[in-house]
Amino acid sequence: MINLLRRLNYWRNNETRSQILLEEIELHLEEKAADLEARGMSAGQARSEARRQFGNAGQKQEESREIWMTRFLSELIQDVRYGARTMAANKAFTALAILSLALGIGANTVIYSFMESILLRSLPVEDPESLVVLNWHGRSPQEAGKDWVHVVHGVQGMMWPGDKGMLETGMFPYAALETLRDQNPVFSTLFGYFNGLSKTLAVSGQATSAATEFVTGDYFRGLAVSPAAGRLIDSADDRPGAAPVAVISFALSQQRFGGPSSAVGQSVLVDNVPFTVIGVAPPEFFGVDPASVPDIYLPLYTTQLVDGVRAARMFSDPNFYWVEMMGRLRPGATMAQAQALLAPRFHQWVATTASTDGERAKLPALKLNPGAAGLGGLRRQYSKPLFVLLAMVALILAIACANIANLLLARAAARRREMAVRLSLGAGRFRVVRQLLTESVLLASLGGALGVLFATWGVRALTLLFSNGQDNFTLHAELNWKVMGVTAALSMICGLLFGLVPALQSTRPDVMPTLKNGRVGGPRRRAQHALVVAQIAMSFLILVAAGLFVQTLNKLHSVQLGYARENILLFTLNARQAGHRDPEMTTFYANLRRRFESISGVNSATLAQSSIISAARTGQAVKGRIMVGTASIDGARVMAAGPRFLTTMQIPILAGREIDDRDQAGARPVAVISERLARTYFGNENPIGRRITLPEEKRDLEIVGVSGNLRYGSLKNEDQSAMTVLVAASQFSPDRVTYALRTTGDPLRFVPSVHEIVREADSRIPVTNVVTQAAEIDRTIKRELTFARLCTGFAVLALLIACVGLYGTMSYSVSRQISEIGIRMALGAPRSTVVWMVLRHVLILAASGLAISVPAVLIASRLVKSFLFDTQPNDPRTLALAGAVLLSAAILAGYAPARRASRIDPLVALRHE
Amino acid sequence: MGRKPQKNDSLPGSLDMLILRTLSRHSLHGYGIVQFIQQSSGNELLIEEGSLYPALQRLELNGWIDGAWGVTPNNRKARIYKITAAGRKQLNVETKKYAKLTLAIARVMEAQ
Repeated sequence: MINLLRRLNYWRNNETRSQILLEEIELHLEEKAADLEARGMSAGQARSEARRQFGNAGQKQEESREIWMTRFLSELIQDVRYGARTMAANKAFTALAILSLALGIGANTVIYSFMESILLRSLPVEDPESLVVLNWHGRSPQEAGKDWVHVVHGVQGMMWPGDKGMLETGMFPYAALETLRDQNPVFSTLFGYFNGLSKTLAVSGQATSAATEFVTGDYFRGLAVSPAAGRLIDSADDRPGAAPVAVISFALSQQRFGGPSSAVGQSVLVDNVPFTVIGVAPPEFFGVDPASVPDIYLPLYTTQLVDGVRAARMFSDPNFYWVEMMGRLRPGATMAQAQALLAPRFHQWVATTASTDGERAKLPALKLNPGAAGLGGLRRQYSKPLFVLLAMVALILAIACANIANLLLARAAARRREMAVRLSLGAGRFRVVRQLLTESVLLASLGGALGVLFATWGVRALTLLFSNGQDNFTLHAELNWKVMGVTAALSMICGLLFGLVPALQSTRPDVMPTLKNGRVGGPRRRAQHALVVAQIAMSFLILVAAGLFVQTLNKLHSVQLGYARENILLFTLNARQAGHRDPEMTTFYANLRRRFESISGVNSATLAQSSIISAARTGQAVKGRIMVGTASIDGARVMAAGPRFLTTMQIPILAGREIDDRDQAGARPVAVISERLARTYFGNENPIGRRITLPEEKRDLEIVGVSGNLRYGSLKNEDQSAMTVLVAASQFSPDRVTYALRTTGDPLRFVPSVHEIVREADSRIPVTNVVTQAAEIDRTIKRELTFARLCTGFAVLALLIACVGLYGTMSYSVSRQISEIGIRMALGAPRSTVVWMVLRHVLILAASGLAISVPAVLIASRLVKSFLFDTQPNDPRTLALAGAVLLSAAILAGYAPARRASRIDPLVALRHE
Repeated sequence: MGRKPQKNDSLPGSLDMLILRTLSRHSLHGYGIVQFIQQSSGNELLIEEGSLYPALQRLELNGWIDGAWGVTPNNRKARIYKITAAGRKQLNVETKKYAKLTLAIARVMEAQ
């Protein structure tokens, strides 16, 4: 072994070693010549005499070098050549083995690549390990009682479930940032940021939507990022009165300015507010959240310029939670120290913001988290699904490896005679094993290489699948060296492991029985059968999982939405961000609606605050409570909608009318309520003509119609849905509207006309979120969709690989039984009996696999219960279907060898012996 | 030169032993080894100089000697070889083998 290392080391320095050798010989000759000269020879004579005595220098040099190489290298070349020859001679075997291994390794590499990019990758900044994310956790503002009691009076951002029913979030009031930042002995910097979502960015008159991040002056310094061009935002830029400046992403600088250097100094409009681009972020930088890549970074204080009065209130209100924070630990400081120091400080501060006992009872508590990998939204969303997928692909690889093992076993048996001959002719056992191992490693390497090829396609396909039409999707997995390393190791281990056992077996020293008989059955066939049974068991596991996920998807697709899913085009406009204001804005939106409706092929057009399915994510159209008489309506969604909303969405009108052009800004405000709301608050009475009061808005709504129930938010959760109040968009004008066009044929066909109409009306307004209604709804079940598709793919893959194994085993088994079958047929057995004999064998193997797998499935499927909807983990129909599919696949795989067996000519078979 | 010095091919493998023996006294470079063997055999043994280098490579590959850059007595930069612990062991083995062999040869020669 050490010897081998020394050889490898030698090869590594091959060039220098040859050079050294040359120098040594040169020196030798010189010294020899000098000696001879000293004894009286002339210089020329001495040199030639030295050379003569030395012998053929070139040859000696060659000899010296060969000492390091010869045996090992030439044997290796021999082995590889021989391996390649045997592989070429068994094309089918080789192709099947390599293909199944490549599929297994490819699938693993893809999933591992995604895991790596989601769960393990650090932010591309200097020393990411010293970054810390500030979060807090606390009891829910709305637990038990329905009223919101909490120091958190308003939020702008995300909360997620933490431990023990607590809520966790990264949002803080601005005052908390100031309190924690001042005189901080553990952080060298503490910086804040606020996701500004999408803003309208106009560059020389061309408007698009751009993801915006508002950052404090310490943001770039704290992350230790250096600009690709210009300079980055610093503390002097982040204070009221400073000139409004912007840093843009590298990608944006290329798309809109033709490169980073030409972007610096340009002026741009963000929601119609002028900014000067001062710098460009480096290409690899994507902010702090792997889930969203900002196009443009603005100083935090400029929210007040862009969002106006509302933002100014956010800065001063200690009960409004919005800004997120990260800190960089000073050298030597630990996160635990920071936690111990800052938690009391935060507690002290937050206590001063509570004004009632109810609020004091639920104070948030500071919680620091590691920030090396950035914010954890993506990790929270994907980590569990990815582990499930990883388990599946690991199973697939196991099935593939079993295949390789099986095929190698079969081949080793077939070559047993060859081995015995070689051994008895005096080949060393180690030498023969080494040659067999070289072959299987060669096989594995080819499989691995092809697997990487498959993986590059797979990563691309899966990115497409994950993004699911989202245009700002940011998860970019790539095959990197780590992933490659894991793949290479996997393929090598497979090769060695499954080459070694058969190699050792077939070179067992007792060659005599083999030479005498030529064929053996026994233990090897049992091993093969065990492998096939295991493959079938594992395939069943994957099949059932796929069945469950497909079943879940079907259930989700059959959920009654209450409105049309097909043939509707959605897109969003924000006229306010381009400078439009009420009341002109309402007219602008209304006119556009009429223009869209006049496109030929568009049956009707409407507008609303948002798409129906995402209604839960946009704010209410009205402020404050909604009352019917003295009763306050809880959990109802108030959505502003334009004329022909119910018609376009094909929502049934159960009573009265829908909102139409009569409902103008000056007219009496109207409402259309859903059936559920009508039932709950008006019982059997006719609600038409009744009033809904809005105390905070100081307005009354007259109910003019009752619509069917609408499903919004999550398809899985029924009680969240169905209570809706539609109000007229012209009377409660939203800033941003989503148009819906009911079209004849493919909705996406009308996208160019829409762009043209909007450009004519106002070229400063970008058309965003262009999507069909069906795709918009599918976004809410993205995970289920991805799972169902991926798992179906995996199931097909697993089944295919297992069938290859089954086919190989049966073919081998038939070829072993040729004489037996021949005798049977000679004795008059009909062909059908022979076919049945082989198929029975297949069925026994498949049935044993199933029998083993069913208990495992019942346990394992419970682990994925949280991914299922309206489907039991032990759904008997799914189990039965998966079983049927598996058995038919097994019969299909076994049929070809069975047929071959039945075609055996008894005469030939008997002579075969 | 009256008598032709004997070429070292009568006992195969003895070159390795001679090199190891030489290096067990001093660390030397290639030409130094040649000189030492020649001188200490009273110029009776003349090793084929070219064969020295493959032999040195072989010994180094086996881990019995170790070559490193150094300076010769003439102040020339050269690879100086020194014997390793494994090399000493090997020398021991070969010396014994050699003793046995010469004894056996002597017996044959003396047999009547």
